Amino acid sequence: MTKRLTLPILLLCLAMLAAACSDSDSDPTTTAGGDTATTQAEGDTATTAGGGDETTTTQAETSEPVSVRAAITGDEDTLNPYTYVSGFPGWNLLMMQYDSLMQLDAAGEPQPWLAESVSANDDLTEYTVSLVDGVKWHDGTDLTIADAEFTFNYFIESATGRFSRDLRGVDSVTVNEAGELVFALAAPNPAFDLVALADIPILPMHVWESIENPGEATFDISTNVGSGPFKMTAYEQDQFYRFEAHSDYFRGAPSVDELVVVIFADDAGALAAIRSGEVDVGFDRISPEQIELLDAQDPLDIAQGPEFTTQMINIDVSKRPFDDLAVRQAVQLAIDGQDIVDTVYLGSATVGSPGWVHPGKTVYNPAVVPMHDVAAANALLDDAGYADSDGDGIREFDGNPMAFEYITNSSDSLRLRIAELTAEMLAAIGIQATVVSVETATWEEAVWPGFDIANGRNYEMATWGWSAPIQANTIRIAELVNSDPGIGFLNLTGFANDEADAISAALQVEADPAVAAEMISELQVLIAEQVPFIMLAYPDGAYVYNSEVYADWEFIAGQGIVSKVSLLPPSARP
Amino acid sequence: MLRRGLRNVNRYLLVFAIAVSLNFFLPRLMPGNPLALIAGVDVGLMTPAERAELMEQVGLNEPLLAQFFDYWKSVLTFDLGYSYRSGRSIAEMIGERLPWTLLITVGSLMIASVVGIILGGFSAWRRGKKTDLSLLTSMISLQSLPSFWLGMLLISIFAVQLGWLPSFGAETPASGYVGWERVRDILEHAILPIITLTILSIPGAYLTMRYAMLEVLGSDFIRTARSKGASERRVLFGHVARNAIAPVVTFLAIRFAFAFGGSVIIETVFSYPGLGRLIFESVSGRDYPVMQAAFLVFTVAVLVANLFADMMYPILDPRMRVR
Repeated sequence: MTKRLTLPILLLCLAMLAAACSDSDSDPTTTAGGDTATTQAEGDTATTAGGGDETTTTQAETSEPVSVRAAITGDEDTLNPYTYVSGFPGWNLLMMQYDSLMQLDAAGEPQPWLAESVSANDDLTEYTVSLVDGVKWHDGTDLTIADAEFTFNYFIESATGRFSRDLRGVDSVTVNEAGELVFALAAPNPAFDLVALADIPILPMHVWESIENPGEATFDISTNVGSGPFKMTAYEQDQFYRFEAHSDYFRGAPSVDELVVVIFADDAGALAAIRSGEVDVGFDRISPEQIELLDAQDPLDIAQGPEFTTQMINIDVSKRPFDDLAVRQAVQLAIDGQDIVDTVYLGSATVGSPGWVHPGKTVYNPAVVPMHDVAAANALLDDAGYADSDGDGIREFDGNPMAFEYITNSSDSLRLRIAELTAEMLAAIGIQATVVSVETATWEEAVWPGFDIANGRNYEMATWGWSAPIQANTIRIAELVNSDPGIGFLNLTGFANDEADAISAALQVEADPAVAAEMISELQVLIAEQVPFIMLAYPDGAYVYNSEVYADWEFIAGQGIVSKVSLLPPSARP
Repeated sequence: MLRRGLRNVNRYLLVFAIAVSLNFFLPRLMPGNPLALIAGVDVGLMTPAERAELMEQVGLNEPLLAQFFDYWKSVLTFDLGYSYRSGRSIAEMIGERLPWTLLITVGSLMIASVVGIILGGFSAWRRGKKTDLSLLTSMISLQSLPSFWLGMLLISIFAVQLGWLPSFGAETPASGYVGWERVRDILEHAILPIITLTILSIPGAYLTMRYAMLEVLGSDFIRTARSKGASERRVLFGHVARNAIAPVVTFLAIRFAFAFGGSVIIETVFSYPGLGRLIFESVSGRDYPVMQAAFLVFTVAVLVANLFADMMYPILDPRMRVR
């Protein structure tokens, strides 16, 4: 009896140990060699990466209905314009069902979509849009100019949500005698096509006109009538969404017939399901150390390209000693962005430009380059009188040690590594940054209390990052540095500089694109000099997909693969 | 007897009142703000006026005391309210989640208690012998396994490498299965979470049973039973097991109550749509009403289980009966 019982238990323990070892062993073996993914990392123009060469295999099999199962982490509610939760991938999934007047192409530039043509007057205060014919809603009725007019006025009147904010500064939206939509703006807005026309979903009037207060209404998925290539047919909270192809789609029937989006609780679960073949594509970015591991596994492939998310260090520049420019400049010099890209991102990122703007953007100022010089940083601090008088390796300011709490959000392991690495870099110039990893909501509340910069700041140093839209629309650089909360509502570090205020305020209303570009250029120089925050890197986007199921993913520069464009036949893409 | 019962009820009411009040204050003591959840990711782009309007809509602008009063009113009228996240009725959400949670927690609890009690009883009977020591060592090793690690390990073996079992969810998404096929699908999805939870719960039942048995084995009445010539079998089942079962029942009652809280970690690892996942999502988004409701269900379950164990004691053990 003794042996009969102990043996199975011992065997179980042994088996588990063996499996654990073999599982972790597989990492180092696959990371050697292979440069498939990383070569495309530094692309400074729009790139299409991944398995474009495999498109023929899926196209050949089109007689069978194509069903794609995608993984996301976190529920996005019923995915209508008032319920979707996150900017990514929530908005992207919303737009599978709806169309906007313009659509981003592979280079990330807006192109006419529901719009036949888009034109603006000389001072960019009036935009005129004509509509394509023959567009049908999911319920079979026709999409007309009246729907478009209704949509914009509905968002302007309801005054809550992203799309209403897109339309701030729009005085009126009307239909002229030629049957075109006319947007009258209060001030010139050169980015109106990008921020509004390519962002706002056109809604069916016959569904939405009876919903008076969308901010307070509760919705089920019967509201989700759009004109987009997919219509939602089922939703189970925290479980999945099911979309069916809209066969009457005006650009042609989608190349995927069914899209099931599975909602995972965490990314480890999503990755396991992709590796086991239960899911065909991950709609969340994968971390750099997973890229080669997954790429090595057949039939998985990686789509990779530049994205406009940012990684940075925020410092409270309103407090001692960071109010001293010498300290901020020394911190900036001490940070080695290339080391972060190599060590943390394993090469799958672009080194952060100290002037905020991604080097892939046309308005990037090439005179602004990352600098790393520990000796110069130490000299700056020495000259400014921050000496280490007690010899403990930490300099002092006003009689206090230069020791700060450096907070980061625990849910992001890459950020934690960045924090650890940069803390070491700062130690080399006599600044002690103690990394404290806290839960995301706590971290957000410290850096951006109540999401309103009027509430001040409760941190000394923090890792931070902005989502792609802030970088994609370069005019938004103004929001990061202006000291007036009305303009600089993303100014989380308490930065105040008269010159930056003047340029950024003027930039927001500049009609001439050439002049605006010049202002953005100047702001980059100013930001690099004044260091309101420390730019580290722009991580690449990398997505894993099963090329046997569907391989035709389109990588939109700065946006990634999660878009209706990816699921349309190449001839139907913008 | 009646007076004692009343005193008992009063005590439970007091504990209930304290626990329910804590449920209100604990979420609000956490740093962080539910605004991000209510408004979505673009919360930072809202004007202060828009934010204030939103806070007013969900009643977060009221003084804490007024919110507390409203909260108690809703608890006493069984009105769990609506989620900040989805605007859905929380009672409905909990109703959807509870069966999934109970499937895996009660399923594993049943297996674990049978296995644990048998092994624990056996181990105690053989105390000090090789079987006992090796069982005890194995159990303590099992108990020290981190649950997320065990879950991911089983996924890695049975789903990723062998491809035998699904790695996530309670059913195949959008499968359209009905009837027997659906039952089979649900069971397949439940296997890995149940195995994980079972492995993690066996040591508790085992250790409780073993300890309770050992205590009884040392008592005088067992020696008496033996000396009057009772068979080993009769001693084990008639005297030892009967007397050792009371603490095990308490243990199981409490474990059963915890089953209503779901298993946050296991449900997260397996993306299982149970109560634990709901708690996880609501805590990370500061969805106060959902957190409160989930904790309330949990509080009530623990109190009811305690009450049940209190009532079972006199039945299981005549010495506990009061005249």
